[in-house]
Amino acid sequence: MKTITIDPITRLEGHGKINIFLDGKGDVDNAYLQIPELRGFERFAQGRRAEDMPQITSRICGVCPVAHHFAATKALDAAFNVDPPSAAKKLRELMYMGYYIYDHTLHFYYLGGPDFVVGPDAPPAKRNVLGVIEKAGVEIGKEVIKHRAYGQKITAILGGKATHPVCGLPGGVSKGLNKEEVKEIDKMVKSCIDFAKFSLKLFDDIVLKNKTYVDLILSDPYQLNTYNMGLVDKNNKANFYDGKIRVTDQKGKEHVKFDVKDYYKNIVERVEEWTYIKFPYLKNVGWNGFKDGKDSGIYRVGPLGRLNAAEGMATPLADKEYKRFYETLGGKSVNSTLAFHWARLIELLYATERAQELINDPEITSEKIRNPVGEPGEGMGVTEAARGTLIHHYKLDKKGLIDKANLIVATTNNSGAINMSIRNAAKGIIKKGKVNDGLLNMVEMAFRAYDPCFACATHTLPGGMPLEVNIYDSEKKLFKKLRQNL
Amino acid sequence: MRTIILGVGNQILGDDGVGIHIANELKKKINNPNITIDDAITGGMNLLDLLLGYDKAIIVDAVKTNEGENGEVKRIPLGAFSTMHSCNPHDVSLIEAIEMAKKMGEDRIPKEIIIIGVLMKEIPCEFGEKLSKEIAAAVPKAVDMTLKEIKKDLKISS
Repeated sequence: MKTITIDPITRLEGHGKINIFLDGKGDVDNAYLQIPELRGFERFAQGRRAEDMPQITSRICGVCPVAHHFAATKALDAAFNVDPPSAAKKLRELMYMGYYIYDHTLHFYYLGGPDFVVGPDAPPAKRNVLGVIEKAGVEIGKEVIKHRAYGQKITAILGGKATHPVCGLPGGVSKGLNKEEVKEIDKMVKSCIDFAKFSLKLFDDIVLKNKTYVDLILSDPYQLNTYNMGLVDKNNKANFYDGKIRVTDQKGKEHVKFDVKDYYKNIVERVEEWTYIKFPYLKNVGWNGFKDGKDSGIYRVGPLGRLNAAEGMATPLADKEYKRFYETLGGKSVNSTLAFHWARLIELLYATERAQELINDPEITSEKIRNPVGEPGEGMGVTEAARGTLIHHYKLDKKGLIDKANLIVATTNNSGAINMSIRNAAKGIIKKGKVNDGLLNMVEMAFRAYDPCFACATHTLPGGMPLEVNIYDSEKKLFKKLRQNL
Repeated sequence: MRTIILGVGNQILGDDGVGIHIANELKKKINNPNITIDDAITGGMNLLDLLLGYDKAIIVDAVKTNEGENGEVKRIPLGAFSTMHSCNPHDVSLIEAIEMAKKMGEDRIPKEIIIIGVLMKEIPCEFGEKLSKEIAAAVPKAVDMTLKEIKKDLKISS
């Protein structure tokens, strides 16, 4: 058996490694993504003050500080048996929309977009944000920078530092908004709505009007018929900050809907010996290996998972786009991994519209932003991180210190699906052992769509982008090695 | 001349947080209105945002490399990196961020960006607040090197 190793994955850093196993003919037999998982969180958390968790967990990941901050805060609401005042919930949600605005903008224009805008076969040196600017124009580049910064600014006004929020407290938030701040946010949000509309139009012009790309989106290697998961409001519309966890099947029919407090009755985390990453699956379907279909409990989260798990968006423009999405891609569910990118832009539009509703809500300047906490106990909290459902679970002792902690992060929820997407893409693209950079990028595209975050908040500065490709023969002896910057 | 010293890293991830430990030590030793000392658990675009408006930036961070000794401290000009990146799957590298900002006409990018790097073979994957022995020993060395870097500038400007 031949093994091809792509190590680490370009652009998706964090020491990821893809191993592709070929059969005797040089076709793909199987593929595995190996990524480092941060370990020892439960032990680290034990004995710490519960109210420190929103700050501590916002440092777990340099990518999703806001999502961890509020998943922790909401778990503490539950653990201290307190329901925050409605104004506090609105302030949290508004801040959350700021996070979505900068996060989704960054992904589309900097990380996922280059594959489409510049083209999947373009040389790696061009397949980046600079390539996007070259193709789309400097003026667009300025708009991208401006609106990403607006998202950050909105988050910072509400939460302190954008990259390290400090506002969430059990029972509410520490800081409200004054009229000046409302005016400032309102102005930014208006501009963000136009930017989101523009981004969808760009996607339309560059991707949807190009038959090659649409065919690529709908092509077999990028299809995965899993279950889908996401938070929904009482009308089953997608929600990022709160609601029930809804799971739909491969045809978009509701499979199960539950409160986060029942997550462990519905989700099981499977352990495999070759990686520290766990593979969650639906308990009432069961684990059936790395397979899709009705009999496999693997599900997807993130933009595509959320859209599939809902029945629409709660704001008018985003809902219109939602309908167009399903009309264009052949109805529910959309199971194409590359459709994540379009779904992400629809969510960007929703986040901007929802931010406008919240900033125009007279209650947003209310001074009643915190309720007194009750006795410490046990609590679970859930939010939709930009890349998927995120669950925090804490058990406190009588003094309010952490006794037990468990987290299920978004990328972990997607880990089974990411593995399969890589395998399927590799199967469709690598034939008879023929591999070149363009082909490898197609495999990378399969998982880049998920916008995975490899629990890796480290910030190292190595002297170049390391890339290693190892090819082994059938006796697992290395016969070819390609590397750069190592 | 305005200088920012930025300790970068994650202080709940053991040795990865060495840059923050160094920044904390520097805060005790430097008291100059033209020098800002801050820390950041971020990379790429966000890192650039923090540097804008200063004449010079000194980034203190862990550097994962197979070269050199574990805990060795090196002064590295930013230009020496062909593609530098923070280990963050959801961002671009600082160099990419700078190139893009320049293209957009950004004129507040520091003229000089220096890395004070603590070399390490492995970045820890286990939560913890303590530095390992070898990396802890690098902290005073990195502090000295940063102080030297600043003194050099002070001489030039006076």
